[in-house]
Amino acid sequence: MIEGHRLSKIYGRGSVEVRALDGADITIGRGEFVGITGASGSGKSTLLHLLGLLDRPTSGNLLIDGVDVNALSEKERTAFRLNRLGYVFQDYALVPELTAEENIFLPSKVRGMTSKECTRACRDILALVGLKDRVAFLPGEMSGGEQQRVAIARALINNPALLLADEPCANLDTKNSTVILELLKKLNHDLNQTVVMVSHEEWHQRYFDRVVTLQDGKILSDGRPDVEGA
Amino acid sequence: MLEEEQVAFFLASRLITRGNKGTLLLTVTIIALVFVNLIFLPSIIAGVVILFNQQTIDYSYGNLVIEPRENELIITKANELQQKINRIPGVVASSPRYFGGSTIVYKGKSASPLIVAIKPSDEVQVLRTHTKIESGDFLSDADRDQIVLGRTLAGREDQKVDRVASLGGAGVGKTVEVTFQNGVTRQYRVKGILYSGTSATDSNAFITRKEYEDIMGTTDAANQILVKTRTTGDEDAMRITLMQYGVQEQVWTWEDKSADFLKSIVGSFDIINFISTIVSLIIAIVIIFIVIFINTVYRRKQIGILQAIGIDRSIIIKSYIFQALFICACGTAAGCVLLLLVLQYLTASPLVFPGGPVAPVLELSLVAEAVASLFVVSLIAGYVPSWLTTREEILSAIRG
Repeated sequence: MIEGHRLSKIYGRGSVEVRALDGADITIGRGEFVGITGASGSGKSTLLHLLGLLDRPTSGNLLIDGVDVNALSEKERTAFRLNRLGYVFQDYALVPELTAEENIFLPSKVRGMTSKECTRACRDILALVGLKDRVAFLPGEMSGGEQQRVAIARALINNPALLLADEPCANLDTKNSTVILELLKKLNHDLNQTVVMVSHEEWHQRYFDRVVTLQDGKILSDGRPDVEGA
Repeated sequence: MLEEEQVAFFLASRLITRGNKGTLLLTVTIIALVFVNLIFLPSIIAGVVILFNQQTIDYSYGNLVIEPRENELIITKANELQQKINRIPGVVASSPRYFGGSTIVYKGKSASPLIVAIKPSDEVQVLRTHTKIESGDFLSDADRDQIVLGRTLAGREDQKVDRVASLGGAGVGKTVEVTFQNGVTRQYRVKGILYSGTSATDSNAFITRKEYEDIMGTTDAANQILVKTRTTGDEDAMRITLMQYGVQEQVWTWEDKSADFLKSIVGSFDIINFISTIVSLIIAIVIIFIVIFINTVYRRKQIGILQAIGIDRSIIIKSYIFQALFICACGTAAGCVLLLLVLQYLTASPLVFPGGPVAPVLELSLVAEAVASLFVVSLIAGYVPSWLTTREEILSAIRG
C-alpha cells in the first residue's frame, strides 16, 4: 500500500536547515489502521503531508498503491489526491458556504458523478457517519464533532485507497473524540479502509493496529500499540 | 457545460449566494457607478454633437449649399436656378442668399458684420432662423428700410459683457447706419433681434434681397442657394441627384461646410471622452481586482484545502472568474437601470448649452463597448488574484 524509503524533508537553506524528517522508512499494508505519534516537532505531520501528497520529500522514494508519487506532475498529484486519497484535517477544513451534503459531494462532482449519483452517495455516507439529519446544515450550524464527521465523509466519498487524518480529534472533547475514533475504526474494520492517523494522545492508541513513533524526524519505534499503557 | 466549469460554477454560485451580502452589494454598486460613468459623458457629447449638427442645418446651411461655379464669384440667374432646384424630387425648398461685408454704426459704436440678403418667404422654408427672433419681428418680403440684427452683433448696453465688438445694445425700433461694400450708406430701423445660439448666424445682419440688389445694382444674383431636402442624412445622394438634374454649380452638404468646426469640437470631446473612459476603466480594474484579491486572500486557506482534497487549480480559478463575471453582470444591470433613470431625468430637464437644450443620446454601440470593457476587466481581475493564490504551495496556503 505505502512504501516510503529514506524519506527526508529539510526546511531552510544553507547553514540554517531543519530536518523535519530524516531518512524515515515506512511500510503500511492495505487495511491497516496506523497511528503516528511523537512529540511536537518530531515530524509526524510532515510525514503525513508527504503521504497526502501535500508536500514533496527533499529526498527518498515514496510508492503509494504502486505509484511513484514523486515522479508525478502537480496536475497528476492533484488527480491522485482526488481519486486515491482522503484527507481529514485537524480543524475540519470545510467550505463554510457549502452545506454538509455539498461539502461532501464536491470531490465526487469533480470526478464527474451526476447530481443524482452524488446525492445518493452523499446520503449513504452521511448515514454511515451518523449525520443523515444534517444534510442541509452549514458548517457553522454544526458542532465540532459533527463537522469533523462531515470532513471524514468528504474524505471517503471517492472510495479512497488511503485515508489520512491529521490529529482529527485535536479540537474535540473526549466524547466527540471517541465518536470520531470509533467511526474511523469502524470504517477500517467494515470497509477494510487503510487509515493513517496522526495523534499525540496516548489513549487513542487502543484504536490503532500499529503505532509508529517519531522523534527528531526519525522513526523511533514501529509496532503494536501499548494498550496497557493507553 | 463541461464538468470542470459545472463545478466551478457551482462553487461560485454558493460562495456568492451564501457569502457576505454587504460586500457584494457594495461591489455591485461601485461597478454600476463605473458603468454609468463610462456611458454618461459620451452620451452627453453625442447629444451636443447632434445639437450642433441640427443647429448647422436649421440656422446656417440647410441640407445642401449651392455655390458659384469654380472661378466665378456669383450665381447668375439665381431665380431660374432656384426654380430648377425646387422641381427636383426630394427637395423641399431653396433660398438664394447674397451677402457681403458692411460697417454698421449705432450711437457712435461700430461693427463690421456680414450682411446677408434674403428673400424672407423663401428663407423661412429652408431655415428656422425666423423662429428664433428674440424681440421684434422677422423680415417680410416687402421690407426695404428694415434690418434684423443677430444678438451678438446688436450687443448689450454694457459692452463689457459682450465677448466681441458689438453695437452696444441696438434694440428693436432703433436706427442704425449701414455702409455697404460699394460705399453706399443707408439708415435702417431694427425690426428684430435674432438669437439662434449659432455664433456665426448671431453675428450677422439681415436685410431683404430686393433692398440689397437696389444698393449693389445687381439683379437676380446670389452667392449661395441654401437647399432643404425631405430627409436629413442622405445629403450625399441628393447632391448627386442635383448634379444629375443639371445643376452645374458647386454643391456642398452641410457637413462639408461645417467640417472643420465640427471636427475640432468632436476632436476635443473625443480627447476628454478618451481620458474619462481610461480613468473609469482603471478605477473598475482596481476595484474589481481589490475585491477579488481580498476575497481570495481571505479564502487563501480554503483554496489550499480545496487543492488538498483534489480540486484542480483550474476549477478554483474558474470559480473566481465566474464570481467576478457575476459581480460585473449585476453591476452592469444595476448600472443600466441607474443610467436609464439619469437619462430619463435629463430628457425631462435637459442640460442647457449655448446652442440650446442637450439631451443625452444613448448609442447602443457605446453601451456594448462599456459592457464588453467591464467584462474583460472582470475577467482579468478575477483571474490574476486567484491564479496567484493557487500558485502558492498548498501547505503555505492552508497555514494562511
